[in-house]
Amino acid sequence: MTGESDILRIVEEDILRILGEEKSKRVSLESIKSEIKVTYLFITNAIKELEREGLVQSQGDSIVLTKEGVGKAENIVKRHLVLENYFKFKIKRTRSEREAHKMTDILEHYISKEVIEHIKKLSTFKTEGFPLTKLALNKEGIITDILFPDYGLFERIVSMGIVPSEKIKVMYKIPDGMVIYVGGKKFALGNEIAKGIEVLS
Amino acid sequence: MKLRIILVGQPNVGKSCLLNALVGPEVIVSNYPGTTVEVTTAEKTVAGEEMVFLDSPGIYSISDRSEEEKVTEKALFEEEIDGAIIIADSVSLERSLYLAFQVLEAEIPVVIALNFVESAEKKGIIIAHKKLSKILGAPVIPINPLKKWGIEELVNALLEIKETKGKTFTVRYDDHIEDAIREISSQVTRTQTQLPKRFVALRVLEEDADFYGYLRDKRTIEAVKEGLIEHPKVAEDIAITRYGTAAFIAGKVTHLVHVEEAARSLDERLDGALLHALGGPILTILTFVTIFGALLFIGSWIQDVLTGFTEYLLSLIHLGVGFGGTALEAGLAGMMAGISIALPYVFIFYILFTLIEDAGLLSRYVVNLERFLRWFNLPGRAIIPLALGLGCTVPATRSTRILFTKKEKFFTASLLSCVPCSSRIAIIMGVVGYFGGKWLALSVFITLFVSFLVWGYVVKRITRIEKKPVLYELPELPPYRIPSIGNIVTKSWIRMKTFVYLVVPLLFLGGVAYAGLDALGLTNVIVAPLSPITWWLDLPDVAIIPLVFGFLQKDLTGSMLLLVLGGNVSSVLTPLQIYTFGVAATIGIPCIIALGMLIKEFGFNKAVLLTAASILYGLLFAGLAWRLISLF
Repeated sequence: MTGESDILRIVEEDILRILGEEKSKRVSLESIKSEIKVTYLFITNAIKELEREGLVQSQGDSIVLTKEGVGKAENIVKRHLVLENYFKFKIKRTRSEREAHKMTDILEHYISKEVIEHIKKLSTFKTEGFPLTKLALNKEGIITDILFPDYGLFERIVSMGIVPSEKIKVMYKIPDGMVIYVGGKKFALGNEIAKGIEVLS
Repeated sequence: MKLRIILVGQPNVGKSCLLNALVGPEVIVSNYPGTTVEVTTAEKTVAGEEMVFLDSPGIYSISDRSEEEKVTEKALFEEEIDGAIIIADSVSLERSLYLAFQVLEAEIPVVIALNFVESAEKKGIIIAHKKLSKILGAPVIPINPLKKWGIEELVNALLEIKETKGKTFTVRYDDHIEDAIREISSQVTRTQTQLPKRFVALRVLEEDADFYGYLRDKRTIEAVKEGLIEHPKVAEDIAITRYGTAAFIAGKVTHLVHVEEAARSLDERLDGALLHALGGPILTILTFVTIFGALLFIGSWIQDVLTGFTEYLLSLIHLGVGFGGTALEAGLAGMMAGISIALPYVFIFYILFTLIEDAGLLSRYVVNLERFLRWFNLPGRAIIPLALGLGCTVPATRSTRILFTKKEKFFTASLLSCVPCSSRIAIIMGVVGYFGGKWLALSVFITLFVSFLVWGYVVKRITRIEKKPVLYELPELPPYRIPSIGNIVTKSWIRMKTFVYLVVPLLFLGGVAYAGLDALGLTNVIVAPLSPITWWLDLPDVAIIPLVFGFLQKDLTGSMLLLVLGGNVSSVLTPLQIYTFGVAATIGIPCIIALGMLIKEFGFNKAVLLTAASILYGLLFAGLAWRLISLF
């Protein structure tokens, strides 16, 4: 069970994003309800909470962003766009944009601000990443994709903390392989495996 | 009712160390990821409650890809357990949470033991454990098993572990995946240990074929997956969301403080040398040569002292009245000879091996030696059983479990035929070296190495072991640690225990058996039919006795040779004969205990086939070697 307060926070962020995406910064309660698939109670509670924090105002059937709200919403929208770009890029090879949007919806709540900042610094995701084997020694990169045909290897690598959006560094080159540093730990791996890890620097 | 608790955590996170703090020192604690390959159990009564602790091998995730994961998964889902302690690494909390979420998905109550709190603080990572506990709905206890703090709190939390059931955190996947989970859940019919339906559904979506059998209609899987247009690779998205959630929660409870970075830490300087493309392998080989040298020199020195002591001791006892007395005396002589020959080598080897393991050096050696093992299409970790083989073939055979495929395990076990265990080293040093000189002993070692390469080449061809990507197992290189002497002694003792309890009685029985055969005049029964072998080896017929008895227990070989030849070996055998004897006695699966372990690991047929083939190979090799040498 995700804690209720978590859901509430997620719904709050979603409402701010929807408002932020709107030019008029005004959205009807109905369209919020249709876009966020949670019980009505959560939405009203979230709006109450946002009002208490002074980020939105209720005006009849619509919700409007306040001045402080606009700033906060813009950040959330930006974050959403960055992630969406990332997933569009990731999913380009596979499926639709709708899917990219969906993945962004889930993940944006789960990725820390620090990582978002890092992703933003990158020259967007218009260009594809390159294999880890081409990352210069001791230069920090960001993992953009894990490409393995075998789910077993994929899951193993993810559970080791080698996941998209993590910072990665090649510390040593060893014959036919390398020693990498990810999330405070060192791992040795061969070039063949490294080719399946795409990065940007 | 006993409370059954399983310890789960990543490799090298301090599981065994915690178990040690919980129940006492009789548990192996190591700094090489993957030394535990079995579930060890330990019991203790705390506050009137009987507790059984199960220690599992270190894993990053509970999918059944590697042997470690299979063993842990089995223990988690098939054994009756009341809860799990997840040992979390404060330095990389998200990885530990990933594992914790998988356990929570199976609705197993957990207590999180937060380890390495101090080293995290040194790196500027501060974890709000109370906040984490609130989010997870499960107790989070900071611990330091070495200093023994947090252990009492942990035990108290365990006593109430069942109460957390149903109140804990679960990862929520996106709407589409949750719909798919619901749909598959409704198809789940039976599970052996009442695994939650949601968990079974997740495992099905994660392509774990073991769980397909729980579904009413397997076609559902394809149908549901086809319906998931948003997630063409749903398994990957599940793993990513789970990790993302772990990272999100870890971020929420972690407070980062800026810490001045050390210019270049000792760890980095060490790694710079040990992982250097050229220097690394050289240092690694130098280390092994040093260990070998220490074995030979310190070992033979202790052997001298012990032999003197033994002779003195035996001169004090006079039992030689009647057959019983003779047999008893022969038994004691065999036992003492075996102990003084083998014990020093076994002891020194395990102390040194444990030292490099605990210091964190072993994983670097694995990486450096991987390129040599690649000739045999074996992964780097195969070096662990091979190195352990220099101690005793029996635990080395067992440790082949850390490899991934059956073929890799069997191939590595077969290579142990040509890796001299300390008992075989004792033959080379104590017999060949003592009576034939150190250069003769060295040539036996070189012959063994050649036989290793030939055997490896041939068996690689026969088993058709396939080539894997380089370092595909992604070994973790743990931080270096200064090993604790207490830990090393305990661990070496545990590893030697088998030797002492199993081998020493066998040594005694071997001596008695020989005295019996001799008294009944039955030695000829063995000698005569096997004379073609001694002919092939150009050895006196009676030399077959030490070879045959050697298979019962390798340490009997030396003492038996002295018995049958009557003292001075060098006046009876030529140097070339001593060499041939040394080679014939040391190639092959060494003894009946090793055969027993092979049967346990690989089944009767394979074990007997391997043992017979390896002994024949040794005899063949020895015979060919002396013929080749006598040509010059």
